[in-house]
Amino acid sequence: MSRFFRQADDSDSSESSDGEEELMSSGDEAPIARPAPAAKTGMAQFLAGGSSDSDSSDSDSDSDSDGQDSDDDEPQQAVRIMSAQEKRLVEMEATGKVMENALKINDWVAISNEFDKLVRMIQRQHNVSEPIPPFYVKTLISLENSVNNALAKEKEAKQEKDAKKNAKALNATNAKALTAMKQKLKKSVKEYETDMNEYNADPEAFESKYAALIAQSAPTAPTAGGAGQRPTAPGRDDEPGADFTNVVGKGGKAMHFSSEGILKNLQAVQEARGKKNTDRAEQIRILEKLLEVAATAYQRIRVLLALVSSRFDYNSSVATHMPTELWLAAQREVDQLVAIIVANPAYSIQEMTEDYDELKERSPEDPEEKGGIVRIRGSIISFVDRLDDEFTKSLQNIDPHGTEYIDRLKDEKVLYCTICRAQAFYESTNQDEPLSRVIMRRLEHIYSKPDAVVQALEAAMEVSEIKPNMRLASLGTSSGLIHALCVYLYKSGNSLLRTRAMLSHIYHHALHNDFHTARDMLLMSHLQESIHSADVATQILYNRTVVQLGLCAFRCGLIKEAQATLLDIFTTQRVKELLAQGVHQQRFQVLTPEQEKAEKQRQLPFHMHINTELLEAAFLVSSMLVEIPLLASIDSDELKRKSISKPFRRLLDFADRQVFTGPPESTRDHIMQASKALQDGEWEQCRDLIQSIKIWSLMPEAAGVKEMLAKRIQEQGLRTYLFTYAPHYSTLSLSLLSRTFSLPLRTVTSIVSKMIWNEELSASLDQSGGVVVFHRIELSRAQQLAQTIADKIGAMVEQNEKALDVKMGGTGGWGDRADGNKGEKRGEQTQERRGRGDRTRGMRGGARGRGARFAQGLGNEMSSRLG
Amino acid sequence: MAEFDLTKRIMPYLDRHLSFPLLVHLSETNLFSVRDVQIAQYELAKGTNMPDYAANLFSQIYPDQEVPQEFEEKRQNTLLTHQRLQDEAQAVLDVIENPEVAQALRQDKEQNLQYLKDNYNLTLDQIAALYHFGQFQYSYGNYSGAADYLYHFRVLSTDNDLNTSAQWGKLASDILSGKWDAALQELDTLRESIDSRSLPGPALNQLHSRTWLLHWSLFVYFNHEQGRTLLLETFLSPVYLNTIQTSCPWILRYLAAAAVLGRAPPAGASPRVRNALREVIKVVQMEEYQYQDPITAFLKELYVEFDFEAAQRELGRAEHVLSDDFFLGEFCADFLDNARYLISEAYCRTHQKIDIRDLSERLNLSPDEGEKWIVNLIRESRMGADAKIDLDKNVIEIFRPAVPVYQTVIDKTRGLHLRTSGLGTAISRMGAGAVPQGGDAPAVAVR
Repeated sequence: MSRFFRQADDSDSSESSDGEEELMSSGDEAPIARPAPAAKTGMAQFLAGGSSDSDSSDSDSDSDSDGQDSDDDEPQQAVRIMSAQEKRLVEMEATGKVMENALKINDWVAISNEFDKLVRMIQRQHNVSEPIPPFYVKTLISLENSVNNALAKEKEAKQEKDAKKNAKALNATNAKALTAMKQKLKKSVKEYETDMNEYNADPEAFESKYAALIAQSAPTAPTAGGAGQRPTAPGRDDEPGADFTNVVGKGGKAMHFSSEGILKNLQAVQEARGKKNTDRAEQIRILEKLLEVAATAYQRIRVLLALVSSRFDYNSSVATHMPTELWLAAQREVDQLVAIIVANPAYSIQEMTEDYDELKERSPEDPEEKGGIVRIRGSIISFVDRLDDEFTKSLQNIDPHGTEYIDRLKDEKVLYCTICRAQAFYESTNQDEPLSRVIMRRLEHIYSKPDAVVQALEAAMEVSEIKPNMRLASLGTSSGLIHALCVYLYKSGNSLLRTRAMLSHIYHHALHNDFHTARDMLLMSHLQESIHSADVATQILYNRTVVQLGLCAFRCGLIKEAQATLLDIFTTQRVKELLAQGVHQQRFQVLTPEQEKAEKQRQLPFHMHINTELLEAAFLVSSMLVEIPLLASIDSDELKRKSISKPFRRLLDFADRQVFTGPPESTRDHIMQASKALQDGEWEQCRDLIQSIKIWSLMPEAAGVKEMLAKRIQEQGLRTYLFTYAPHYSTLSLSLLSRTFSLPLRTVTSIVSKMIWNEELSASLDQSGGVVVFHRIELSRAQQLAQTIADKIGAMVEQNEKALDVKMGGTGGWGDRADGNKGEKRGEQTQERRGRGDRTRGMRGGARGRGARFAQGLGNEMSSRLG
Repeated sequence: MAEFDLTKRIMPYLDRHLSFPLLVHLSETNLFSVRDVQIAQYELAKGTNMPDYAANLFSQIYPDQEVPQEFEEKRQNTLLTHQRLQDEAQAVLDVIENPEVAQALRQDKEQNLQYLKDNYNLTLDQIAALYHFGQFQYSYGNYSGAADYLYHFRVLSTDNDLNTSAQWGKLASDILSGKWDAALQELDTLRESIDSRSLPGPALNQLHSRTWLLHWSLFVYFNHEQGRTLLLETFLSPVYLNTIQTSCPWILRYLAAAAVLGRAPPAGASPRVRNALREVIKVVQMEEYQYQDPITAFLKELYVEFDFEAAQRELGRAEHVLSDDFFLGEFCADFLDNARYLISEAYCRTHQKIDIRDLSERLNLSPDEGEKWIVNLIRESRMGADAKIDLDKNVIEIFRPAVPVYQTVIDKTRGLHLRTSGLGTAISRMGAGAVPQGGDAPAVAVR
């Protein structure tokens, strides 16, 4: 926010700078005023350490001894404790003196250095909002003169040099310093032009005014509170029509604010903003008072703008969050602001406006306003952004297990209303850029929430009088609402918002068990290719989306897909960190404080977390269902090393090594024991163990999921049993199998047939006997090895082809160029082969296969364009 | 069975004129009320330049109402426009049909244009008249005439957009006039131009063009002799498979049907056609959530679930759907035949002893027919040696000796030599002779 006000200040100063020429000419009179201070300081120097009858010479002596040291050590050795103000003044004068001396010997290098120092000091003076001492103005004026003189002299010297060949001109460094000096001086002169003019006009008056000011502020100076109300520039003091009393709140005096003076008060407050000693609470109080008396819409808007930003200013530190009361007040005021703006369309708040007089009352009737619209500098969207950010921040900092967190969470409703109102406002004024930002904010509040919560939020919003076009009531379902919001964002130009909207949309679909739509959207967006270059927040959202997709697949009973989707994130072993739900403890390196802080800021508020234990349970159970039959089907040790799910295999191996296993306690224990039971063909035990995991209760439709799991366990149990015990039987009755696994005979037949067809099981069915007949062939060692080597050679050729494909680049493949038409077919074959290979790798493979499908569509074009 | 009718889905991707045959077919199938179909036909016809046809339909629908006047006006208009366009086009045609000119024309279109301009004062605008006349003829139903004019136009014109448009027009005309060979040729050129086109902002356009092409090509592929094989070849190529999956999953029915019909591909078919069934099953399974009908369900039940009873049920339903389908109607019997074959093949592969009665039931056949069928099957398939019918117990016994290990090893390694030498040539070509490394494949570490 402060950006806007800062701009305003800048433009003010540049506005007043057109009188530069005038000043240059008026500088001629300066020498008259000059001798006095020069003589004075000069004398003081000779009298160093001598009689100290005046304040200033006394401080001179002090500052002589410790020069330009920082004023911290001053109090220790000072005889008389000076106020900070005086000290600064003394320092300044000392610098001025050195400059005088340098001037006498024409040493511009020294002057330049000293001047820099002086400017710095003045800057400091500014920071503590003290008036500019007349001394500085004096120095400026005198310096300006001397520089002008010196330049003139040099010019002469040059001419003389031409004539006489011997020059008393300045040496090179000196000349350079002189020109540098000229530049610097010009800048400062510009800044303090008004003061200089005033001084030139009447030096006496100027100084006396300064003295008066000092005297006035002196008593309040020690108490930091008062500084805010003091006008920063003395020049402002004599403006006419000041009918307010500029008083210090702390002093307990009554404050009088009237609607006429509002803008002036406002200006004062704004100038004090961001300065060191400003009492922010005090400012807020003043602004609240101002708001009460504000009469016109213009005034109200202006005061509200200032008030909201000063509320946000209240907490300067990044780490802590805004107090809840302040936040609520700010939220109400933003609402108020939007209401005013909507009610008065003749006023518009914009980030960029033409300059206007801060102190003038403006109204749409004013002929100066273009098109009858009063444009005011400000930004509602940044307020909304900030409100939202502060809300998140407070949730991050509040203990999620306390009641405070829940209380705070209730405020989301009002925040959501505010966001919707802002959206309505931007909709009515057709401002696309802020509108898409505010829609994104809205989307972020609802995308991960179940329908009931969205309904509650929307219901709260329906009550307010300003409503956006996209509403739950008009769109029917929460999916419809999300769809409408996302579609708007897809159409808007901002690619970041588009990505985030896409991810939120996918997340929402996944949450509503719409796995296929969510998967297709994710694959078609091609986000998995570009997500690595996205910003961290988006990456987190991506991770959340993928994880939610995995859970969705699990809920829908698509075990393979669930396993493949969740595998990626679990192999990293940093689930919590990747989902921004906790900071990862790094074993080998320590995070720097900054990193840690950044990490903390990224954390999601607790209510948005995806339960990691549930996630792990889903992943391990689906791994179990995929991996156990696979393990059983492999008979050689060689192949056993290949595993689909490393994290699961690791846990299983660990569980195998246990000498004694007690009754299961944790989720993992349950799953490991269930896996063992499944391996032994005891599917009932496995089912009971899995179903007794407590965490399922967190899953929506838990009963359905359990039922689905039971069915999967039966099927996979049958497969595992067949794989494991086939070598020991020559025939096996189907009805026995059906009884053992409580599956209908038809399902058993179907499963067995499938295994036979896929050549997983060398057996055949005997229909008349209702049995499976196994054809077991015992391979000799040599035969086994021969098969292995054939497989490996095949794999090697495949690898070679792939490597060559990569090297050649292009989508057509090397076959294309190799032998024309026939080669083309080859190329397509390799493509297909690749596609097939991908797809067999389950969902993730399918993902790539799909991705490739779309990529090919575009790729062909690309290559044809490339030639 | 009305819910499995695809006319409504296909129509948006067809030209107005191409939709007529579909509607006519619908009115014959009794899926919908005849009147509704007629109204639809009338609505379609209103937008064409066939006022007589429209008026005819109108009087059929509302026998007791006067035929609106507008048709008569339109008729007049049409005749006038026809006259005007014909005159314009005739001028060009006169020149082109001149044997001298025909001889002088070359491959290079620019040069031709220049030649025509210099000698006969023919400009591009005049040539465009051919296009307009062709289009007009198409719009009132003179399809073969339209095809002629559009052909001539394409030979001469250099305007890309109009050329593409003329190509589509020519294809439609050929389809409607039933010249399948010409249509097939046209289809191929069109496909080529779509696949190679590089329009600005093309991804979506290309997808649209391909979707249209897929729908239009159904006419050709299901009428041309070799259409089914070609359909598999085209539809299973990666880009078109993508198009089906993204924008028109209902085409899967035709793909699935074609795959079943092409069960025994002709010799020399590409591997894509030979493996079509496997590929189609995969896609059917993948797109199950988007689209399914009895035909895809049949494949799924048979090859994914191995539920022969369900497959049989689906086959029964598929029969109805097929006979009502505009494109597949003729192939219904053929499809059933092939489907039976597929069922029995799958059945035999998973079973050792099969009750003939049971199998006949699976195939929707009577036991006698079933036995005949099975004997034929055994005779003509490669199972001949392994399968024996035991009439006493009324069972088939299949003895499938295990494949010897050396055979599998040979199978696995068979293609490797060829592939490796292919790699070698590719590498030597890549180095452009700089690295003359002949047949050595680069060594890649084995996992």
